[in-house]
Amino acid sequence: MIRKEINKISEVGKALISVEGNPGVALNHVVELLEAESGQSLSFAKAINITEDSTRFQVFNGTTGLSTRTKIRMHEVPLTAGFSTKMLGRSFDGSGAVADGGPEIIFEKEVSTRLDTLNPTVRNVPKQALWTGIPMIDVFNTLVKSQKIPIFAGPTEPYNRLLSQIAQGAQADVIIFAGIGLKFDEYQYFKDQLSQSGNIDKTIMFTHLAGDSQIKGLMLPDVALSVAREFGDQGKDVLVLLTDMTNWSNILRNVANYQDMIPSLQGYPGSLYSELAKRYEVAADIEGAGSITIIGATTLESLEDPVPDNTGYITEGQFFLENGKLKLARSLSRLKQGVNGKTRSDHRAIMTAMASLLADAEKAHEASEVGAANDPYSQKLLRYRTDFIDNIEEPFGEPIELEAALDKCWAILKRHFDPTETGLSKKLIEEYWDKN
Amino acid sequence: MNDINKKRTGNLISIQDSLVKARFFDDVIMGETAEIAVDGKFLQAEVLQILPDPKNADAGIVEMQVFEDLTGAKIGDEVVFKGTPLSVLLGPGLLTSVWDGLQNPLYKLSEEDAYLKPGMNAPALDEEALWDFTPSAKVGDTVTGGDVIGSVPEGKVDHKILVPFSFGPCKVESIIEKSSVNITQQVAVVVDELGNKRELKLAFRQPVKSPIPFRERSIPKHPISTGTRVIDLLAPVGYGGTVGNPGPFGAGKTVLQHSLCKYAVADIIIMAACGERAGEAVEVFKEFAELEDPTTGESLMKRMCIFGNTSSMPVAAREASVFIALTVGEYYRYQGKKVVLLADSTSRWAQALRERSGRQGDIPGPEAFPMDIPDQIKGMYQRAGEDLGTKGSLTFIGTVSPAGGNFQEPVTQATMDSTGGFWGLSQDRADAKKYPAIDPLVYTTSVYDGFVTWKDRQKMLSTLNEANDIDQTISTIGLKKVPVSNYVQFQKGLTIDFCVMQQDAFDKVDACTRPERLEVINRAVQNLIDSDISFEADGMDDEQLKEMIKHKFDELRQWWKDWNYSATTEEQLAQLPNAIDKFILQEEYAV
Repeated sequence: MIRKEINKISEVGKALISVEGNPGVALNHVVELLEAESGQSLSFAKAINITEDSTRFQVFNGTTGLSTRTKIRMHEVPLTAGFSTKMLGRSFDGSGAVADGGPEIIFEKEVSTRLDTLNPTVRNVPKQALWTGIPMIDVFNTLVKSQKIPIFAGPTEPYNRLLSQIAQGAQADVIIFAGIGLKFDEYQYFKDQLSQSGNIDKTIMFTHLAGDSQIKGLMLPDVALSVAREFGDQGKDVLVLLTDMTNWSNILRNVANYQDMIPSLQGYPGSLYSELAKRYEVAADIEGAGSITIIGATTLESLEDPVPDNTGYITEGQFFLENGKLKLARSLSRLKQGVNGKTRSDHRAIMTAMASLLADAEKAHEASEVGAANDPYSQKLLRYRTDFIDNIEEPFGEPIELEAALDKCWAILKRHFDPTETGLSKKLIEEYWDKN
Repeated sequence: MNDINKKRTGNLISIQDSLVKARFFDDVIMGETAEIAVDGKFLQAEVLQILPDPKNADAGIVEMQVFEDLTGAKIGDEVVFKGTPLSVLLGPGLLTSVWDGLQNPLYKLSEEDAYLKPGMNAPALDEEALWDFTPSAKVGDTVTGGDVIGSVPEGKVDHKILVPFSFGPCKVESIIEKSSVNITQQVAVVVDELGNKRELKLAFRQPVKSPIPFRERSIPKHPISTGTRVIDLLAPVGYGGTVGNPGPFGAGKTVLQHSLCKYAVADIIIMAACGERAGEAVEVFKEFAELEDPTTGESLMKRMCIFGNTSSMPVAAREASVFIALTVGEYYRYQGKKVVLLADSTSRWAQALRERSGRQGDIPGPEAFPMDIPDQIKGMYQRAGEDLGTKGSLTFIGTVSPAGGNFQEPVTQATMDSTGGFWGLSQDRADAKKYPAIDPLVYTTSVYDGFVTWKDRQKMLSTLNEANDIDQTISTIGLKKVPVSNYVQFQKGLTIDFCVMQQDAFDKVDACTRPERLEVINRAVQNLIDSDISFEADGMDDEQLKEMIKHKFDELRQWWKDWNYSATTEEQLAQLPNAIDKFILQEEYAV
């Protein structure tokens, strides 16, 4: 097939190029950029804005080195991602090209990266817990298969360590690692961890390093999620790790600004919510097929920043990491109610009781900072708070089973309170108080 | 009237995300719908603006928003204008349905593909289902838009068959006998004043952006039993009322919405899942089907219909979904039904408008929302109301998802300006895992006497307020310096908050409190507030006394919480006021 070519680029900007007139290219279709003389392939690009007077493209490899004489060859197909089970154990870049120096892969099929919405009627109601061995998650905010949930953390928090710890313990057939704007050592850390835990053979890594072309970072989640979705459609339980979605959102912001879009909050485009939702909503438990669970990382300075704020409205809860601890007050798993009623009879009650006491304890702690909270009960609360932070909010350590974690909770309550102070029902007190 | 038989077309000259421009030579009507042919598929669009063509004086340019993904669209692709504005199909079969934002039936579409692809569509209502039609109009009767010509049973709902609202006065020329018909069959023929014959079916299309009128509008004042105590006690919503329900993420908006779906006493519940998580809509239509409607004993889905325009679906359809849901609500109100519409979330709806106006290059208002967003929000809530003429009502409860949890942002502010009620969810209460996190101190209601009198409500509030103030004092100066009497007051407020304002949405008994039970609780609460309890202080210093008081109240709260979870019989219900009386007298009350 002879492909149509365009011979003149009229505008070259940051990540974007334009041609004059209407060459007949369709929206979101792919073109290839070729060096004028040698015909050597320089990059692929995607048509994003078409009028009868001009056509604008996002250039995957960046625009440095392009000239007005660079040729554009039209491929007349939308962007797809290559799919093959041979991708397991391998590393790719944001456009799905092999990036580990290994042999090229002959793909079994090309999958659409448009991320069409799954028909909601084909979704199963999530009902299966994913146990992590981390009490703060298993007892208080149980993770559920098909959940989409980010870790909210300051930029210096060990969020990648936590992400990797959850990934290692999780029962998944396939792990898709999607790293955007990563530092090299972060990438290597994940690779080493996955290798050590023996999970590398069921992992596909898509990596965009800080400083790589922005468009490749922008498209990375779509490529990674399309591949994940194909595994899900084939009946596999897939775990996707997206880190860090704040980097991704910042690329989105940059590109939106290059495209002269009107910014809404802090320079982000008004579509930030919809753009994040489109990716996170890929998480699903699919009727008659597999499932896709997404755990993301969202770095933040403040919870009110547009990225964590919009993310919180999209995802099914969040794990909040602060000073290396998983904080109960700000963490939430929205799907936990679907699974924690079928565990031990005290699970829900102890979760509520400890949370409520902790909230009181936080108040006592605030009061103690200004010299108040000297009464005996406040003192109890303060001791409880310390115990809770050290023993429950600590995510790193030997994994423990749910029952043991629940027993640990009873022991903490008993160390500090009288039964009536816990707000727990008489029945549960009789059943569990003296056992621990 | 435009000649709808003449095909009017245009061709694309600009494509950007979901916004396109086309050149046309005939005529285009503002707000009409259109279809764009892309790769052999037909994508739905709506006219937003009509402009002159700077390149061709004989032509015009039309700007449209497209409700589906435009991948593959090219310059020159044909646009066919439909002549009709965005509309909804109204008729029997609406209940139990699950649609996307444009009324495409999702179960039907799933037969074609597990994924929603551009160009997919199916009839909004089942065209084969048969309905038992009983005529009520007779040949020779004069009828006009909105008049009833017959009815069909739709589950337990008596579904009235109406003359389409756009019709003027007509004479019934013929009407079928009692029989089983589907929605495509003719049930009557009417003749308008000009002598034009028009056929009537069980279903008809209705434009969604202009409201269906009221017969006789009134002020909502009859409270809805929602089953949620803090609402029914402090911030009741009346049939036909409006409520804005803002809260930061994680504050429990969704759980509250689901609870309203389950327990609000109404004939019909419409859910517009607008730009929110798909999983939440799925939970409703998959799990609620198994739950019982408190009034009819049937599956909850039998009184519901759902528009699931979830967050990853095309943004333009988000705006449409709320108007479509409102129009369905107005249609049932016109039939005399009590309808509750839950829109989750109106912020996503406003964001859809923001995305669009940004693309259109409009000058942005605060936070880049369109300048006229407050008016648009007001207009939307105004469509709710009670109709004395039909005895129907449409109650509109909209959630708001304020950016950063900040209630000062434009959508929350405009909502507060537009609604009669306001249920503010607080981050602090949510962090303390208090459900519902409706702050008893941040709410408004337009219903004067609800399930309890205004006076009782005010007493409850001032006790909560006072307890809150004392709590802050304790936090700043320490418990030691707070007088014992104040401490007792604080404990009373704490008890009312913990045992009454908080509720367990996942417990069978506690999840829903009906008026009879509310009455019992209110009696107990009022007695507790009025009480003057003398705690024995033999040889105790203040600190020990406070310890003892706290212990006694802890016991009471535990007892009361157990009662919340267990008391169902009349006898068990009576235990609460008894226990409070005994507690006040410092007698043994445990049973």
